[in-house]
Amino acid sequence: MQQAAGLEELGREIAVASVFLDRAEEQISRRIIGQKEVIRRVFIALLANGHILLEGVPGLAKTLIVRTFASAMNLQFQRIQFTPDMLPADLVGTMVYNPKDMEFHPRQGPLFANVILADEINRSPAKVQSALLEAMQEKQVTIGSSTFSLPDPFMVLATQNPIEHEGTYLLPEAQIDRFMMKVIVDYPAYEEELEIMQQAAASGTIPEVMAVVEAGDIVRARRLIDRIYVDPRVQRYIVDLVVATRNPDRYGLASLAAMIEYGASPRASIFLLLAAKAHAFLQHRAYITPEDVKAIAYETLRHRIIPGYEAEADNIKTDDFVREILQHVQVP
Amino acid sequence: MILIRAISLLMAMLLMLPFPACAKPGEGVPAVRVSAAPDSVYAGERVICMIRVRHPEGLLAALELPDSSALAPFVLVGRNRSSSKPSPGFAEDRFELELAVFGSGRQNLPEFAIMFRDSEGHRTGRTHHRPEASVYVKTLTPSGMNELRPFKPPIKPEFPFLLLMPFLLAAFVLAGAVLLALFLVKRKVRLFAETVDPAQVAHRKLRKLGSRLSGGLAPVECYDQLSGIMREYLERHYHIRALEAVTQEIERDLRKLGVSSFDAIMTLLKQSDLVKFADSRPSVDESLKSIRQAEDLIGSGRDGGG
Repeated sequence: MQQAAGLEELGREIAVASVFLDRAEEQISRRIIGQKEVIRRVFIALLANGHILLEGVPGLAKTLIVRTFASAMNLQFQRIQFTPDMLPADLVGTMVYNPKDMEFHPRQGPLFANVILADEINRSPAKVQSALLEAMQEKQVTIGSSTFSLPDPFMVLATQNPIEHEGTYLLPEAQIDRFMMKVIVDYPAYEEELEIMQQAAASGTIPEVMAVVEAGDIVRARRLIDRIYVDPRVQRYIVDLVVATRNPDRYGLASLAAMIEYGASPRASIFLLLAAKAHAFLQHRAYITPEDVKAIAYETLRHRIIPGYEAEADNIKTDDFVREILQHVQVP
Repeated sequence: MILIRAISLLMAMLLMLPFPACAKPGEGVPAVRVSAAPDSVYAGERVICMIRVRHPEGLLAALELPDSSALAPFVLVGRNRSSSKPSPGFAEDRFELELAVFGSGRQNLPEFAIMFRDSEGHRTGRTHHRPEASVYVKTLTPSGMNELRPFKPPIKPEFPFLLLMPFLLAAFVLAGAVLLALFLVKRKVRLFAETVDPAQVAHRKLRKLGSRLSGGLAPVECYDQLSGIMREYLERHYHIRALEAVTQEIERDLRKLGVSSFDAIMTLLKQSDLVKFADSRPSVDESLKSIRQAEDLIGSGRDGGG
């Protein structure tokens, strides 16, 4: 049995167009040992035009992952260390006086790059966070009276340290919602850590990474992703998952109803669909299946569910809610 | 006046009639009646002695008892007095004596005297009485006992629990029997459910699906149901979570189990996925062929698995 003729053709195009990702993955793996799932999520966010909130304790190579990713993808990279004394102008740029022509000229800030690593975003005050998140949403910034479009692709990877909250400004829920995914960077496996240690001790230098992506590869991939077929059954499945975070009792999860204070917003449905399509693209498929949805459900939903007092008292995490929902919502 | 006096005298005489002849009633002569209850007590218990004195109106009656040593074997515990006018021209005084009784055998009530005075307090007469009534004293204590027995609180009749015991036991036995029956039925149902071959169930559903397909069911719908039947079979036969799992999760589980018909099962599930998610439009023949493949798979899977 064959899939629909249009999808078969699209599938072939996707197979050809997604090769660059395999090449990039191979390059990244030369420098980054393990963390395959994190790297895949970064690919998905790039393809789906989303942003990522990375959370992990210090020393897990978060910065190295993003820097290596940008190098392999041939993208301009900027790392911004957020501090409490930062101003929005430090991010977006400012008007600088030129004594030669006696005029003010806009000077673009570090935000003008393809891949931005916003390190420890929760260390900056709310106005700086807002400036960044507005830029993420609008894909443009205004300096003085001039508005500048940010480069395309434009992706922000913001990091948060989950264990250190002193002197930090927690991101408001409305702003966290703008991140397509929240990716938890976990410790490497035992064997991986052994390899990391051996590699670092042997050479003392970081392996070189080649840029393997050509200009236009990402744009072409995004166009193909737009054409990926989404069956109404899968669409309903996505909405079911999101609605289940708001009304768990409707899906036989009455025990979660008291635990969840607020469920995911409609933005979650949109991002679930976009991310699932990007995931299908990574699988060289021209249609999405519930597997694609399940694969990115944790990353897309975990930061959009606000647990209630009871859940916090019982140390129940939002990942537990997502797991329950995935196990109870019927797969088409 | 004479007539009124005559009538009142007649009435007084009529009223005197039921009185025992402790003292003979007559004009101007009071009538005295003595009674005691109970008439049989244990030593130390108490009796109530009631002395009723009926006399013409205008006189006052007073009871005179001998001193305590003369009262033996009775001890006066309490006394009470009340008056009434049972009929015109007559009055009745009632003296209620509470007496503790000691000794043993039949004991006559103590003697007493009634003193009468007129309304001005002048003594008009005195009558001495020796009651005929007596009390029988049963002795369960030494005869020398002369202490008062305390009043026993009235004993309430006990609820006949023993009579209820057979009913209670019957209720317990019945409840136990019902619970046992429920347990056995539940066990039987569970054993029956376990013994029902999932392959048989799947075969029956596939035959039904085939006939519905021949009856005009859309192939897309057919594959939807086929996928459901296969998942249900896999869940029950191989004891894996298949109904809420995606194809890739089933693939992982079956691979771990080393199922012999792994490739054929996955081909069938992936075909169903193509129809469900990739807009594939199979023909009726292809659908029938898939149903037959499913039947063969289920037949071949009887030996292995769960």
